[in-house]
Amino acid sequence: MHSNKKILPFLYLLPTGLLLTIFMIIPIIYTFYLSFFDWNLIAPTKDFVGMRNYVEVFTDPVNQKVLINTFFYIILLLILNFVIPYIISLIVKFFIKKMQGAYKIVFFIPSLFSLVVGAMIFSWILNPVSGPVAFLFRESGFVLPNWTNSGALAIVVLCLITNWKVFGYNFILLLTGLGSIPKNIIDATTIDRIPKWRMIWNIILPMNKSIAIYVLILTIVQGLQYVFTPTNVITTGGPYYGSSNVLYHTYLNAFVLYKTGNASALAITTFLIFLVLLYLEIKFVEGRSKYE
Amino acid sequence: MKTKYFKQFLALVGLALMAVIFAGCSSTSKTSAKSVTHITYWHVNAQTQGGATVDELVKEFNKTHKNIKVTAKYNPNMYQGLMQNLQSAQASGKVPDVTQVGWAYDNYFASNFKYMTPTDAAKKFDGNDKFITDHFTTKTLSFAKDANKKLVGLPYSLSTPVLFVNNDLLKQYNVDVKSLDTWEGVQKAAKSINKQSGKYGLYIQEPGDTWAQQAIMLSNGADIQKNGKAAFASSNGEGAYKLYQEMVTDKTALHTPWAQGMDSFVKGDVAMAFTTIAQASHIKKGASFNASAIIAPHFEGRKTTVPVGGSMLAITAQDPTQQKAAWEFEKFMFKASSSVTWSKGTGYLPPTKDALDSKEFKDYVGENPMLVPAVNTLDKAIPWTSFPKNGLQAEQAMIDARDKILSGSDISSTLKSAQEKINAQQ
Repeated sequence: MHSNKKILPFLYLLPTGLLLTIFMIIPIIYTFYLSFFDWNLIAPTKDFVGMRNYVEVFTDPVNQKVLINTFFYIILLLILNFVIPYIISLIVKFFIKKMQGAYKIVFFIPSLFSLVVGAMIFSWILNPVSGPVAFLFRESGFVLPNWTNSGALAIVVLCLITNWKVFGYNFILLLTGLGSIPKNIIDATTIDRIPKWRMIWNIILPMNKSIAIYVLILTIVQGLQYVFTPTNVITTGGPYYGSSNVLYHTYLNAFVLYKTGNASALAITTFLIFLVLLYLEIKFVEGRSKYE
Repeated sequence: MKTKYFKQFLALVGLALMAVIFAGCSSTSKTSAKSVTHITYWHVNAQTQGGATVDELVKEFNKTHKNIKVTAKYNPNMYQGLMQNLQSAQASGKVPDVTQVGWAYDNYFASNFKYMTPTDAAKKFDGNDKFITDHFTTKTLSFAKDANKKLVGLPYSLSTPVLFVNNDLLKQYNVDVKSLDTWEGVQKAAKSINKQSGKYGLYIQEPGDTWAQQAIMLSNGADIQKNGKAAFASSNGEGAYKLYQEMVTDKTALHTPWAQGMDSFVKGDVAMAFTTIAQASHIKKGASFNASAIIAPHFEGRKTTVPVGGSMLAITAQDPTQQKAAWEFEKFMFKASSSVTWSKGTGYLPPTKDALDSKEFKDYVGENPMLVPAVNTLDKAIPWTSFPKNGLQAEQAMIDARDKILSGSDISSTLKSAQEKINAQQ
């Protein structure tokens, strides 16, 4: 019986562990191995190049551009997919009495659509010359800038398309979190005549922290993966890598140019950067919560 | 969350089961097939892009050839997607038997995959290579040769760039179509249209390759490559890009991704579009104006020269009986009637002499006059530049140069550095 109890938990974990090993851990280790070679994914020989691929990640001007773009993407995605949904969910929860259900549904609908379809529709709507938005701009005397020719504008547009898809999901998560805060605490603040902003800042936000952290991490980690689809459909990273990011650039190197080594080095670097980001995030937030 | 993981787990188990079942199926079908040889044909044609025609041809072949059964497999994401799948197929040892290979992948395919050349197949199974010489011109065959001048496959889909024009706009702003024979004429017309209407004059396709841009450079007497080395950073190459850059800078030409550019042409916001003939049906269906196509322009004092687009059929079968079946299948696909059916279903031009001369094709062209300039351009077509080594990276270097120049970079230095980058890898 005793040994059974010791083995059983591992047995339960085995399926997940096995899948995780096969589809996550082994590929990551293999990617790490590949990052030291020059290989085209198919040739029988792999040329060992040592750290060259890693050096190129940081010295190649295109890679540098892509890394900086990635940074902008993350900032923008954090604002669009985390901060704004949070603010809206607070408004819906505490400042609007009616129609909460309707808002939930309306905001959530885009999450059900395929991002490829969404990207194609937006590519048409936002066509800088012939789309309906360009038409409205023209009619009201403005000129819609040709955002496909500007890296910065293309990044904003791609983030907005991602936002269209992700917003509702994050909004629902945050709203549900807010709903689980005990009502008696909120009622108490009303009786004590504490201003709403103080209630939100000092009570609601700290109490909703676990959900918020989850959404925050989700935004950082999944955001770039979501951006990949519209990038691939609309700009393919252009103009001149202006709207590319590390994920898209890794894909380009790996599966368009077949530069497996460079792609692997980029992937491992991204992996490490994200690991550090998440570590800092968790440590920072958890460290702070101990004092509260 | 738990149910989500459980569902994912179920899905994965399902996939694994299916993999096992299918692996079982194919191995049994191979061993049991004593009289019937099974072969697979990999293509890139989605249902909307000729996929139905592929199925139709395969069905007809299977009906008329009782001892061979062909299974067609669609590969998403065009030739690039097919190459990716071919790589995993090669790694697992289960390769297809007949494969469509895009011209840009010519050398990459030839140097990394095992295949049987059509010449070997013809000699081995027919006793001579009469089939090849009878059906294809030397020019057409040159499209399918690798850097070592070896015939890798047989040309299957052919396309050429043409200049599509919006006749309503040209008429409205007094542009004579005859003046559009030269790029200088196109520039002048675009300027005039832009000045009078504020609309863009021209759009040149900007997909993930520089096919159209190479056509412009070639039509200014430039070479893209010479003896396996990049050679486009010449005064002629620069001259071609100079005109293009000028037009983008003064907003007479639209600079935008391909889908959006074509959308703008079809909506009548751009007067001319330089793109592949394969866009003809899209334009015919979508445009509400009188659209037509003319032969690709050249620079004054030069001749029109364009790289050919499309793909070839290569035999990737390894087993001799399957190679024989694959060759039979290819011969069927190159029959005049099959080629014309194929052309009608996809918008590509048929590759064989007899198909181009057939009454059926001529009738078809009669109904679709946009195809006329494309057919006439075939004499002026050369193989799509494919560098012997690192060809895909070379193409990317040319894409980068194009994007930089269109964003205003110095033409001469940009082309030179791209050329040096390519040549350093050869």
